[in-house]
Amino acid sequence: MRVDMKRVAIAVALIARSALGQNAADGPVLEAHRVSPTASLNLYVPAGSVRLVAWDHDSIVVRGEKSKNDRIFFGGGPQGFKMGVESRSPGESEPSNLVVYMPHAGRVSVRTASANIVGEGVSGTFTSSSGNIRLSGVVSSVEAESMTGSLDLDLTTPWLRARTGDGHLLIRGAPQDVDASTIGGTLDVIAPKVMRGQFVSVSGDIHWVGSPARGAVFDFSNHSGAVDLALSASASAALTLSSVSGPIENGFTRIRPVASPPRTMRFNIGNGDAHVSVRTFKGAIRVRPE
Amino acid sequence: MIDLTTHLTEDERHTAADGTLPAERRASVEAHLAGCDTCAADVARITEFMKRTRELTQPVSTSSLEELWSPIRTRIEATKVVSLGGTSSKRSTGPLALFALVGISAAMLLATLVLRAPRHAPQDAAAIGQATPDSSALRAVTDSARAYEAEAQILLDRLEIQRATLRPETVKEVERNLRTVDVAIAELKDAIARDPRNTALRQLLATSYRQKVELLKRAANAG
Repeated sequence: MRVDMKRVAIAVALIARSALGQNAADGPVLEAHRVSPTASLNLYVPAGSVRLVAWDHDSIVVRGEKSKNDRIFFGGGPQGFKMGVESRSPGESEPSNLVVYMPHAGRVSVRTASANIVGEGVSGTFTSSSGNIRLSGVVSSVEAESMTGSLDLDLTTPWLRARTGDGHLLIRGAPQDVDASTIGGTLDVIAPKVMRGQFVSVSGDIHWVGSPARGAVFDFSNHSGAVDLALSASASAALTLSSVSGPIENGFTRIRPVASPPRTMRFNIGNGDAHVSVRTFKGAIRVRPE
Repeated sequence: MIDLTTHLTEDERHTAADGTLPAERRASVEAHLAGCDTCAADVARITEFMKRTRELTQPVSTSSLEELWSPIRTRIEATKVVSLGGTSSKRSTGPLALFALVGISAAMLLATLVLRAPRHAPQDAAAIGQATPDSSALRAVTDSARAYEAEAQILLDRLEIQRATLRPETVKEVERNLRTVDVAIAELKDAIARDPRNTALRQLLATSYRQKVELLKRAANAG
């Protein structure tokens, strides 16, 4: 009987710990405050890393290790907090590694210089100068941008906006309305539930893989990079492909183009349920079976 | 011995002013500043300028905005084709003016009909390699490109002011990305010069300007 009680106690402790969702390995608690379920958090971490985790508690808990020479400022009330790592001396900040737990319905506005950002189920704005951004989970909306860092966005959300310069931009999961662009970075999209998508680059290649949703509208635009659409066998889409001086390749050899002037190609796959428009200046356009 | 005949570089003066001078250079730069009035005055000027720039980003009071609005409204009024209510001058519309108006309308209608008339060879409205006949679409994308171009110029000017406060690596990345976008814009402008009525080219130009605007906004956010 005593053994059973011990087991029960261990089980309760494990459940409690799981409910709390925190992990002591994240480091010591630096800040902990009670907030409203929809509280907003404004966060600045110059260097190192920041991981944001949404949880079902009305509180914000910050764990982690801050650099020796920096200090953390924290202020606000139940509706929102402002927090950041501040260097005591001018010049480059040393890396701080923070883990922030915040309410699921809250919103974050996080900004970093070189620090990488990871978000798990957190909605809001994620901005970095050179850090990488990796976001996942079910969120209300996300805006993510980095000057040179890479973005890996595996999200279920009604609205997603993503920007990077030279970094790699990967969009996965089930976003519905997507506006994504790069300057020179590659843009990869593997998201079959997108209903409205605008995908733009200047010189980076754009790859789209999958079957467009029924009624979806996609607009791809590129200057000198390629646009490569790998469509699954079940795809049903009306495609309009046009380029000023780039080649246009149709890998669906059995499908005869509806219109094919020198620099434009139009054809339907299946019943043409989705509308896909591709436009480039000199980048190649390729449409092929997945 | 401090060399006072060679002044500090622009980069050294800016980094001295914003406190981001590398540790290994700090001693020599400070020694130079102690002995060179020209460089010291310039660093003081940049420091003061940056302080004022930061102050400018503080919220402006409502009364200050009211004071600002009056001259702005005057400038808008001066450049408007149609004046705001109450300020328009009364002008008589005589038969000659009416005749001219009817003539212009007829000419515009004729031009529209000619441009929209079906061609012998069917043209795809989305065709990118060809001039599209829809002048309203052409006008819309031209206006869009111009609006983005104007916004990009404003952001570029702002970036120039902000430049001293940006991290050097951020400045480097922004400049590299700007070069990529500017090359694309130059190529598109060149193509448009050869084919001015090509709507698709102008759409691509508008998209490139939009990319430039967003890049400059990202640079401003990067701090």
